Amino acid sequence: MKILAPLRHSDEVAPLLEAGADEFFCGLTPPGWVSRFGLAWANRRAPQSAGVPDLDDFERIITGAGKRPVYVALNAPYYPPGAVELLADFGATLLDKGAAGLIVADMELLLALVEAGQGARLHLSSLATCINAGSARFYLDLGIRRIILPRHLTLNEIEAVLIPGLEFETFLLNDGCVFEEGLCATTHAAGAFCTMDGEGTQGVSPETLERYAFWKWTLNHCGCRTGNDYPLGPCGLCAIPRLLRSGIASFKVVGREASLSRKVASVRIAALSLRLARGGSGPAEIRQAVIALRGSPQMCEERHLCYYPDLWEQKESIC
Amino acid sequence: MEYGIHVHDIRLLPNDPREVCRASWRDILPPGPLRAIYFGSEFCADLLPDATQVARYCAHAGDAGIEAVLLTPVATPGGLARIAQLLASLSVAGDVPAVVFNDWGVATLLRDSFPRLKRRAGRLMNRGLRDPRLMEKVMDSKSISGDRGGRMRSFLAQSGVSAVETDADLEGGFLGDGTDGMQRVLYLPYAFAASSRNCLIKADHARTIDECFTKGLGTSCSGLCRGAWHRIDRSDTDLPLWRAGNTVFFEVPRFRAEVHIEQADRIVLHERPTA
Repeated sequence: MKILAPLRHSDEVAPLLEAGADEFFCGLTPPGWVSRFGLAWANRRAPQSAGVPDLDDFERIITGAGKRPVYVALNAPYYPPGAVELLADFGATLLDKGAAGLIVADMELLLALVEAGQGARLHLSSLATCINAGSARFYLDLGIRRIILPRHLTLNEIEAVLIPGLEFETFLLNDGCVFEEGLCATTHAAGAFCTMDGEGTQGVSPETLERYAFWKWTLNHCGCRTGNDYPLGPCGLCAIPRLLRSGIASFKVVGREASLSRKVASVRIAALSLRLARGGSGPAEIRQAVIALRGSPQMCEERHLCYYPDLWEQKESIC
Repeated sequence: MEYGIHVHDIRLLPNDPREVCRASWRDILPPGPLRAIYFGSEFCADLLPDATQVARYCAHAGDAGIEAVLLTPVATPGGLARIAQLLASLSVAGDVPAVVFNDWGVATLLRDSFPRLKRRAGRLMNRGLRDPRLMEKVMDSKSISGDRGGRMRSFLAQSGVSAVETDADLEGGFLGDGTDGMQRVLYLPYAFAASSRNCLIKADHARTIDECFTKGLGTSCSGLCRGAWHRIDRSDTDLPLWRAGNTVFFEVPRFRAEVHIEQADRIVLHERPTA
């Protein structure tokens, strides 16, 4: 069971290791990409704000991480013609340089990498929307190693997806998504489409639109707020004991483009929660420990930040 | 060219399938016969018809001498079980629609357990960009930028899939040149922009907070969105947008649709945005 931490620079490796990271993920854009493919992104996040600067820095990351695995995201939902061949070669280069695996969403790239014999080093991105056991079995048959489950699943659903022969990773902290990430055909390169979603929708009550706006605000870290320097965003820390029992291999702390301080705080609170769970603490004790650090008890008690609110008993609060 | 239609009332099949669309679309749609009727849901398992309804669609399509095509969504474990149960009921009753899958779990279920049913790869298998804010801006819209998805089409064709379907994305090229032997299908006039289980319309009908958004993921939905679609006015695009159920759609600009039509063997005309 591991805490997976985001990276965008080699300088971040040591502080994140110290905070409790067990493995890392990052994103890189291949050399020559921009001249051929313009503004299309090689992975889900913006290269300028979330990407590792270059291969030299990636090699420093590998060195700094030591035996800790570093995975590289090549997980745009689709690629323009000609890009898949370039990315398959680039993926092979990254693996040669020490990447432990590649995170892939696009079926075309996935098939190219499987054909190249790299299946066992592939992680299926949450963007591929693998949300049932039949789909997991399909990817197992292709030979991939790990499936990153999308955000919007209940704990019961997560447990129903898990099958032997694959590792599974779940979202643990930060960066919510209004839509199902893999079923959002818009691009953040034009600004987040969901920011304005809800507004201007005819025939929906103002009260519902207000609740929607509040929910979106929580997904966006309550307007980019922190509590005692810990991010006040989507959070699944209390669910760690149950996810541990289910056999989840890795817990994802999201946010490659975040500041180092936010990354460190996120990994620290995640690692603390994992230690508590390993020591036998249950959801309530973890929640108490998290509130002691992060504050904002109401956000936890009313389950506003929960990735997995079904962990807690529902209250019949009338709309 | 041939046509499929997705309409709310299957008893009213048009003489000319192009009548399903507004008149402004008809001058870019080539003439062709109606060959299929589409029903079901691509975006929400709670909106799937039951076996009785599917049997009615199949009977009606059979009477009209056209193909019945059942659309299925990306499926949670519960959704997949529901689809499996529906297909099992249909098999027992002898109703055999073609099935559009949008999920590899559904595709595998069809291949392994219902090999008699014709399989068609749905539009969500194409994850290409369909951002309404960019539809009127980027690329030379008069051309499709090249072949895309060749490996996946080969994979699908080798797996026995009979058709590949899509709506009009920004990049184009997903349907290929037809040499892989699968029928190429284009949906018009609406493309989807984004879909979510955190359904705004479900929340609008909710009784309690616990049925809304993330908190409501585990609660079932009675599908009160059926038959309704909501206009969305956004300041960042001039294209008409709609929300139907859990999905945001937009009307594809006609100049963009034209280049996709050249690649299609069948056009499926949607009477209105439908999740």
